[in-house]
Amino acid sequence: MTLRHGLRATALGAFLILAALPANAATGELPDLGPNVTVGRLPEGGTVIVRPTQGAPVAAVELWYRAPSTGFGAKPLPALARLAAQAVAGSKPLVGQTLGQTVAAVGGRLAITVYSDSVAISAVVPASAARTIVKAMTTAFFAPVATDEGFRAAQRDVSQEAFISTFDAETAVRDAVFGALFTAGPQHYPSLGVPKDITNISFGDVKAFATRAFRSPNATLVVSGAVGGDIATAAVAGRPTELGDVAEAVSAPTLATAIAPVSKTFVQNSGGYGWAGPPIADQRAATAMDFIADYLFRIEDGVVSKAVARRSPQSLLVGQFITLHDPGVMFVAFAGNDTAVVRGLVDEGLATVRKPISAAAFANAVESFKYHLLSDLQTPTQQADNYGWYSVEGSAAYAPGANGENGAYFTAASSLTPEFVASVAEKYLGKTPVVVTLAPEEKKAP
Amino acid sequence: MMPAVRFLSGVSFTLAALFGLSAAAPAPSPVVRYPKAFATDLGGFALASESDSDAVLGGVQIFITAGLDREPVNANGIASLVAESIARTPVPVGSGTSAPVREAIASQGGSLAVTVDGRSVHFYIESRAGKLAGAVALFAKALAAPDFSPATVAAARAALTSRIVETEGSALSVGIGMFRRSFYTTGAGNPALGNASTLAGLGSRDAAAFFAANYKRGGLTASAVGSLAPELNDSLKTLAKALPDGAVVPVLSKTRAIPAQAPRIVAHRDIGAPWVVVGFAAPAPGSKDFGAMLVLEKLLAEAFERNSATTLGFIEKSVGAFYLYDAAPASLVVYVNGTQGDPSVALRELLVVSKSLSLKPLAAGPLRHFKTAAEGQFLTDSVTLSDRAYLLGTFSSQGLGADAINAAVGALERTSAADVQRVAKAYLQRYIVALVLPRGPGGSPGA
Repeated sequence: MTLRHGLRATALGAFLILAALPANAATGELPDLGPNVTVGRLPEGGTVIVRPTQGAPVAAVELWYRAPSTGFGAKPLPALARLAAQAVAGSKPLVGQTLGQTVAAVGGRLAITVYSDSVAISAVVPASAARTIVKAMTTAFFAPVATDEGFRAAQRDVSQEAFISTFDAETAVRDAVFGALFTAGPQHYPSLGVPKDITNISFGDVKAFATRAFRSPNATLVVSGAVGGDIATAAVAGRPTELGDVAEAVSAPTLATAIAPVSKTFVQNSGGYGWAGPPIADQRAATAMDFIADYLFRIEDGVVSKAVARRSPQSLLVGQFITLHDPGVMFVAFAGNDTAVVRGLVDEGLATVRKPISAAAFANAVESFKYHLLSDLQTPTQQADNYGWYSVEGSAAYAPGANGENGAYFTAASSLTPEFVASVAEKYLGKTPVVVTLAPEEKKAP
Repeated sequence: MMPAVRFLSGVSFTLAALFGLSAAAPAPSPVVRYPKAFATDLGGFALASESDSDAVLGGVQIFITAGLDREPVNANGIASLVAESIARTPVPVGSGTSAPVREAIASQGGSLAVTVDGRSVHFYIESRAGKLAGAVALFAKALAAPDFSPATVAAARAALTSRIVETEGSALSVGIGMFRRSFYTTGAGNPALGNASTLAGLGSRDAAAFFAANYKRGGLTASAVGSLAPELNDSLKTLAKALPDGAVVPVLSKTRAIPAQAPRIVAHRDIGAPWVVVGFAAPAPGSKDFGAMLVLEKLLAEAFERNSATTLGFIEKSVGAFYLYDAAPASLVVYVNGTQGDPSVALRELLVVSKSLSLKPLAAGPLRHFKTAAEGQFLTDSVTLSDRAYLLGTFSSQGLGADAINAAVGALERTSAADVQRVAKAYLQRYIVALVLPRGPGGSPGA
């Protein structure tokens, strides 16, 4: 057990209870996330991260798991992870309420987000209810119960969410990019699936997935907000399983060896690009990719975003580098009636970053980038999301905000130079991208 | 389209749960509060501030009484056009160069956002604590000499027009706008951004005239939240001096009396299913009825909802509610989403519940449940520096005192069953119904 600094004195006694871990609890070095963050092990394995803050009297309580969105079996089942998490959150235990009802009763919000290889269950609640929710969430997920009623409600709700997402251009382009960049594995499939995928998943599939994925040893519990450092003592231990006390291993995705353009039908003219980028372990390069995405595509502020707002104000434009274990993915999505114009502006923007940006412009851009990072880390939910995401991707200490502006992320951001950014752009964005073109189905002539 | 979800569990069940069956509810949790806020007199105008000891950023909302309620007749959009032009006003950034103030602040590591509402325009500036005063000083330069040249006004108009298209594509926004235009007799009910046709007729001269009439020192207030350095006060004093001295004449906001026979207004849009917006008058935040109306907002939004494990977004909800206190008098809107079921059934049940709430007090269990849920929603809706600064400023100016957000939480906690019944009786018995319907075949208004 490694006990990181930053523990409040009042929390120490309580936290040492957590230190009485089984000898075979999940192992590995605990990350150093700075003086204001407590990191420890959960009793049955798994990691807990607590970030007490001042400000609004609310707390974010999140459970993050590394788990494939399509399940552990040989046959991929898109949306399985989403459906399983929803079923568990909506299943009534023998005693008490569902997790969803418990969060709603305190006026909080519960969300479940599934990515290719991870699942996040997140609640934002009044700080006074944080202990109740930590207990309820860990009770529900560390010994998951899925009832028939909960499963049917989950089918209904996830089907509706999947249906609504079929109209979302950003989701459609991102799914197309991932589908083309990766030829197999969960990255190849939409993490939310489509409505018909949900009907293909059985109750048995859901229960089996929940039992394996939602174990305590596979979890990272993150609590951020106006809470005491001893909040983790509200977590229940969960039950040991025959699967042991180790977290799920990171599976290597299957990258396509040849990139082919993608054309599909969609409700709206849309398009986009995608590239494989640096892994999370290459912190400086990954930060450079984040900087490029911010510089070009930050909503309202990005160079390309502003050009699109002038030339084609009704168009949608999104660009982001997704930091993943290996590789990360850069994608750009656009939609509207001027996709040719927007594509041209995107191409121009991408060309500019493959050459060093002028020193003055670069200095301003880095300052803006750092401000954007800080602005995006101001709420408990944003902070918890960050710690959770970077934990499941394998580098919690690299999370923006870890160790504040002295941490790995801001250190990497400060080390960027115009030449280095250009070299990273050339290395990753100079390759042939996945080119996505989506258009409505043409009406056949009578 | 997927099968519609069954709407309600039955109005009789809802009523029984609200009034009769006192379901067990969790005991109240310990009271939690925001950091205590203070008011500072900055020599003629008030700054309300709430300091977070561990925040890295600070944010300041600068309110000027130049909102929709001051828009002249036939000049809807002028408030936003002026505000957007100010945000585009060039300011010196060194070495003899200049940049629009929004970009100048951004390039130094900050942001400037502009919002127009019923009572005011507010400019939100956010930055690191050490840079916030400098960002405010830059903004003060723009305020001292706003650029209403034809080129800047045209660029502002184009930006607003594109956002209007987005707003008009939302059935919910359309319905709320219909109700507000019908309810208010002043510009407070106007669309915040104007509309394309009115904006097209507004130019530099209109912008300069609106600015001269309304941007006065007497109409300035500010609120700040987060990490705040002492230099901020001096910077705000400088900003105040950038505005012409003088008081602003209070606007006597008026609303139309809502007839007992609920009026219905109808619009048609390219949407797949009808939406219904029911609008009620509502008490101002400084009123003794404020806490009870927050409870009713939560109650009406939740009482009919299907049971989903995760929190539903507005497009997934069958019924939702918004308490709109940006204008004076305030209003409450409840919407019914026709994509989720038969809106006529939901509307009927909503009105039955509204009536019943006025006839007898809530049972203790449901009262505790909805107070807890309303407080939770209020807290979790008020988390970002921007939102907190807005609430602090707008509540302070509407009678909730310097520590205004905590006062609002206190008002919720003090609410009794009798309060809820009284407020339901006073406000929920008369309403305007706005119907947003799909167009018929060929773009006709339809049935």
